[in-house]
Amino acid sequence: MNFELTEEQQLIGQSARDFAKQYLEPIAVELDHTGEFPKAAVKALAEHDFLGLLLPDEVGGAEAGFVSYVEVIETLSRAVPAVASIVNNHAIAAYMIQHWGTDEQRKQYLSEMAKGDILGALAIYESGATPGIGPDALVATKQEAGYVLNGKKTFVRNAGEAGVYVVFATADAAIGPKALTAFLVKAGTAGMKIGAKLNTMGLKGCPVADITFENVVVPELALLGAVNQGLAIATKALAVASVAEAAQTVGIGQAAVEHAAAYAKQRVQFGKPVAVLQAIQTLLAEVATDCHLARLGLREAALLIEEDQPFETEAAMVKSFLVRLGSKMLVDTCQVEGGFGYSESMPLPRLFRDIAGTNLLDAPGDFPEQLIAASIA
Amino acid sequence: MSILSPEQQAIKQTTKDFVAKNIIPFAAEYDRSGEFHSYLLDASKASNIFAMAIPKKYGGLDYDALTQALVLEEWGYGCAGMGTTLAASILSMDSVLIAGNDEQKLSYFTPMLNAEIGAFGLTEPGAGSDAGAGKTVAVKVGDEYILNGTKCWITNGGFASVFVIFALTDPTAGMKGISCFIVERGRSGFVIGTADHKLGIRSSSTVELLIKDVHVPVANLLGKEGEGMKIAMKTLDLARPAIAALSVGLAQRALDTCVAHVQETYTGKSRAGQTLQFKLADMQIQVDAARNCLHQAMALRDANVPFSKESAISKTFCSDVAMQVTSQAVTLMGSYGYTSELGKYMRDSKIMQIYEGTNQIQRLVISRAVLAPAPVQAVAQKAGK
Repeated sequence: MNFELTEEQQLIGQSARDFAKQYLEPIAVELDHTGEFPKAAVKALAEHDFLGLLLPDEVGGAEAGFVSYVEVIETLSRAVPAVASIVNNHAIAAYMIQHWGTDEQRKQYLSEMAKGDILGALAIYESGATPGIGPDALVATKQEAGYVLNGKKTFVRNAGEAGVYVVFATADAAIGPKALTAFLVKAGTAGMKIGAKLNTMGLKGCPVADITFENVVVPELALLGAVNQGLAIATKALAVASVAEAAQTVGIGQAAVEHAAAYAKQRVQFGKPVAVLQAIQTLLAEVATDCHLARLGLREAALLIEEDQPFETEAAMVKSFLVRLGSKMLVDTCQVEGGFGYSESMPLPRLFRDIAGTNLLDAPGDFPEQLIAASIA
Repeated sequence: MSILSPEQQAIKQTTKDFVAKNIIPFAAEYDRSGEFHSYLLDASKASNIFAMAIPKKYGGLDYDALTQALVLEEWGYGCAGMGTTLAASILSMDSVLIAGNDEQKLSYFTPMLNAEIGAFGLTEPGAGSDAGAGKTVAVKVGDEYILNGTKCWITNGGFASVFVIFALTDPTAGMKGISCFIVERGRSGFVIGTADHKLGIRSSSTVELLIKDVHVPVANLLGKEGEGMKIAMKTLDLARPAIAALSVGLAQRALDTCVAHVQETYTGKSRAGQTLQFKLADMQIQVDAARNCLHQAMALRDANVPFSKESAISKTFCSDVAMQVTSQAVTLMGSYGYTSELGKYMRDSKIMQIYEGTNQIQRLVISRAVLAPAPVQAVAQKAGK
């Protein structure tokens, strides 16, 4: 496997770096303070064609491929992780419509999504451990002209800002998750209520909220894929999303380790920069190593996705690796900066709060390790 | 069966009740606002808990070290920011206990009988881990010392009535030129600087101290000139396990929160699988091992046995455990973890690895003890020569 980026991939990476420098770095601190959705940054992303990277040319996408995509996500995340999270949720929703949608659905949504006129979001989780089981489970009841949705989805990112939601509901409460079915629900559909923005530890600016559905009527045409195909769609989409999310983590970790290394070179204790102390070198070296290995792993998974090969095991391995070591990247880089690393006037505490929001085990019934173990021949 | 005495168990229970009533319901609000929890000092008056480390002779509760650890664990369980206030006040007191004469003890401890707090001023912008690199000076003029310098990250600084301040009486003598002073709040030139907005323990006060021509009587010198570094190191030896105790409380709280969430979420058909079960088991193993490690160090201290190494080990191990368990809790509980109070526990835990000597400094202390030749061996080697 070739780990070198092609010329085109490098160019896209460079344009993302330029973009991040001009549009994202200047807003990082304020966005973290206000937590308000970064409208201007998202508009700029759209103007620079970063919102349709994975989409085909015919709908106005850049058709850049998944390797370029994760390169962009890492770069955006290095500057402002919350923005990378917004882009990622949008892009995965678009990816799902591209893969499982009908021609009509693709036509209806994807050009607008590629242009950034509307954002996408995923509504998967519920208050119970597994969607389709709990007392608040979202249930889709078939009626003549389509479906009626009732129930509640939790922790929807991009909630309130998205124009289209990929919503998972069980079409048969008796069999719960086995009847999980995906629907495309437009923002503003009657009966759909976006809850209050939840107070996240970090990734401020990427809104997270619950959504309640009260007699929400959607047409037959809103069905994404087949009835009962939802679990398969969600599983694959979440696996794809986890690779891109790993790029968010690596971006944050890389930004942190570079900041900590620069700090260690200028912080003098015991008559010399602390960077010469082996204790500090070890902390920095381990984080840099974890970042590097995670990047190689996620790039491999991204290439497999791009080439339409099985990628699930590799994706699960990257996730398993980062579940163990992701947050530790900031635990250790903050440590290098000591008291400064705990002051919110410095960047690392913000990144500490941000990285904790990546690689969450949101469906703890499905630990990545189960999939990996099953794959070992 | 508990290894705690009936009296210790009773104090633990009383503290639990106090924390449930006065700390837990308010912790989130103070974390959000970042305001100092002054109300808690008032609420603590009746129990005299800020005097728990003060000898009976001076009106204190005279708790043994293990009992103090029990109290601090419960405070850490309720809110590590509020627990930090108690721990830092005791930290400053320890210097006076170690080096103070009777009058100094009486004057330093009396405010604490009224739930006033103290602060320990060692760290400076250029002197963190390298505590001996401080630049604050104290010049003796007649029967006074005149202090000048800047201290930073001084816990409790914004609200303390009394301070222990380290300053150079002989700038040419390096560490041996450091002396230790009591400075009362309100002395002319002793200015409380800006408060730091921190990743965690947000309701605890962390400030800069700007010390400009501050006059203190010679009677405020603790110990002798030049003994400052020795006092500081002894103080930290005594005080470090307090951080371990807060850490154990934090880790226990995160674990309890996880367990409650798992019990609530996994009902009926959806069962918690072995991976999740074992992760919870691992967290419990870590919390129990951390608590036992701390209690052993406290038992040594209470038996008047040297416990420097064990003190450093307890601080390091317990704070590392708190960091691991709280991080694990956030990840494991997914978006619930990221939007709940678990995030606070994770943010609060990070400081435990940093303050009162980073865990790297602790490892320096521990590795020196590990690598030091055993006394018997040393004698034998000498005899061999």
